[in-house]
Amino acid sequence: MTLTVNQGVLWPAHTNEVPKEVFIRPDIFEEELKRIFYGPEWHPVAHESEVPKPGDFKTFSLGKVPLIINRDMEGRVHVFFNACAHRGNQLETATAGNKTEFECPYHRWLFSASGDLVGCPAEAEFAPGFQRKDFPLAQPRMEMFYGLIFVTFSPLTPDLDTWLEDAQSGLKEALGVDGRLKLLGYQKVRYRTNWKAYNDNDGYHAPLLHSAFRMLNWQGGAGRQYATRQHGHVIFTSSMTVAPKNTLLKDPSVVAFRGSDPTRGSRLAQLFPTFIATSHMDVISLRFAIPLNVNETEVHYAYFSHLDDDAEMEKHRLRQSSNLLGPCGLVSMEDASVFHRVHIGNHTPGVVTFQKGVKDPDSLEQEFKQNDEAGNLPRWEYYRRTMGFERQAL
Amino acid sequence: MKALTAQDLFLIDELQTRYIYALDSKNIPGWLETFAEAPDASYICTTQESVERNLPLALIMDDCYARLQDRVTYITKIWAGTFQDYRTRHFTQRVNAAKLSHDTVAVHTNFTVIYTPEDNGSSEVLTAGVYEDVVKLADGGAQFLSKKAVTDTSVLPRYLVYPL
Repeated sequence: MTLTVNQGVLWPAHTNEVPKEVFIRPDIFEEELKRIFYGPEWHPVAHESEVPKPGDFKTFSLGKVPLIINRDMEGRVHVFFNACAHRGNQLETATAGNKTEFECPYHRWLFSASGDLVGCPAEAEFAPGFQRKDFPLAQPRMEMFYGLIFVTFSPLTPDLDTWLEDAQSGLKEALGVDGRLKLLGYQKVRYRTNWKAYNDNDGYHAPLLHSAFRMLNWQGGAGRQYATRQHGHVIFTSSMTVAPKNTLLKDPSVVAFRGSDPTRGSRLAQLFPTFIATSHMDVISLRFAIPLNVNETEVHYAYFSHLDDDAEMEKHRLRQSSNLLGPCGLVSMEDASVFHRVHIGNHTPGVVTFQKGVKDPDSLEQEFKQNDEAGNLPRWEYYRRTMGFERQAL
Repeated sequence: MKALTAQDLFLIDELQTRYIYALDSKNIPGWLETFAEAPDASYICTTQESVERNLPLALIMDDCYARLQDRVTYITKIWAGTFQDYRTRHFTQRVNAAKLSHDTVAVHTNFTVIYTPEDNGSSEVLTAGVYEDVVKLADGGAQFLSKKAVTDTSVLPRYLVYPL
């Protein structure tokens, strides 16, 4: 399908080049909302442990579309559009809470926690044939994977198992193996960057950008990175050991392993388009990103312990999670800064180039070393095809 | 327990002023010096949203003196040269103070932090919130036993290099 947005974007012939204009053009952003965020893809919006008790809810946005994710009084998880079934008024304003019913203040229509319309004043004077059962809260398609709640707005999206391809085992491991998690809290930040630049971090940069790796003699190395064939979901697994004696930190607990196996110390599942689940040292984190506009991306870093943790382990995860990853973390604050700087730099002409791990710039691989940047390329290829951008002939 | 004296309030305000002056001058060792050198001296930065929801995760959890010392190392050594620097201006207003013991006081102080990134030179609000502190009074000068910055801002407009 050819589009107006296609005008002027000629994708480079080599698979390791991306035109910078795709990061900065508002018309492309609007098209991405339609084709990707509201298109035939699955998008994680919460983990069920964020709404553990009957009546618990959180609100979130997929693109610009407001959602309520809740657990009803029978314990079932739902995702609703956050708009009254009557005139579309935003139903819930809080970011989270516990409610047995949702009441729209505008005309006092009342919905149960399972989305049924249970009250609407002056019903006798409604249009002929009005029935409450025809006006529940609308729900997008929803599926769950080890507690991770996915939604899609498109009827064309394949079932979740198919869509995940062979990212399933890697995602399961990043979700604490069995998905039995307990929410510790959030770090939320708004980055001044396009969502694709936020998304384009790689395995190459880690020991180079993050001085902590060098200064702590923190060894990565052995591991695997692979991308799925169609969507370019990426799974990383890498070992990670910290030199037992460091003279840099007075409190080395921030980089200590207490429960996780260091030979698989960093596990990360990155799903198209923006979601990341990571289990890094003893941190279990899910990163939900909201593309606000072409220049801004909001990221909610949610952190978890495992339900089987004892009090000491939970405390360790809490102390490590608060200071290690995220917008103020020991080995991630620099990433946040790079997100901003790359977006500024992307206003210059030309293409960005990927080199580390590229064996042949005219084809795509699926297997990579854990410290390659070429693992991002299958995702870029899927993006290019999804957006209908034609590749220049060689 | 005696009521707070004018001298106590002077010591508290002098400490808070020293604290924000150190941060706004990027004097990170000076920031550390405002904390008592006690093993459990702490600086926590979290959001009002997390506090209200009873979620223990923080934006910064330096819950012992060793981590406060490490914060200085993060900023001055590990992160040096990697970030877009920014200048802050803290504005504070003490709103409550109550004695906990003869020489410790619980103090609540509202804050607003304006930040100016060096690259775009445009000043904006970084965050607003309240410090919930425990201050130890001493003749030579007061120090923080614990400092908790609770931000009303639930979504930060930028990554944090410096403590609030």
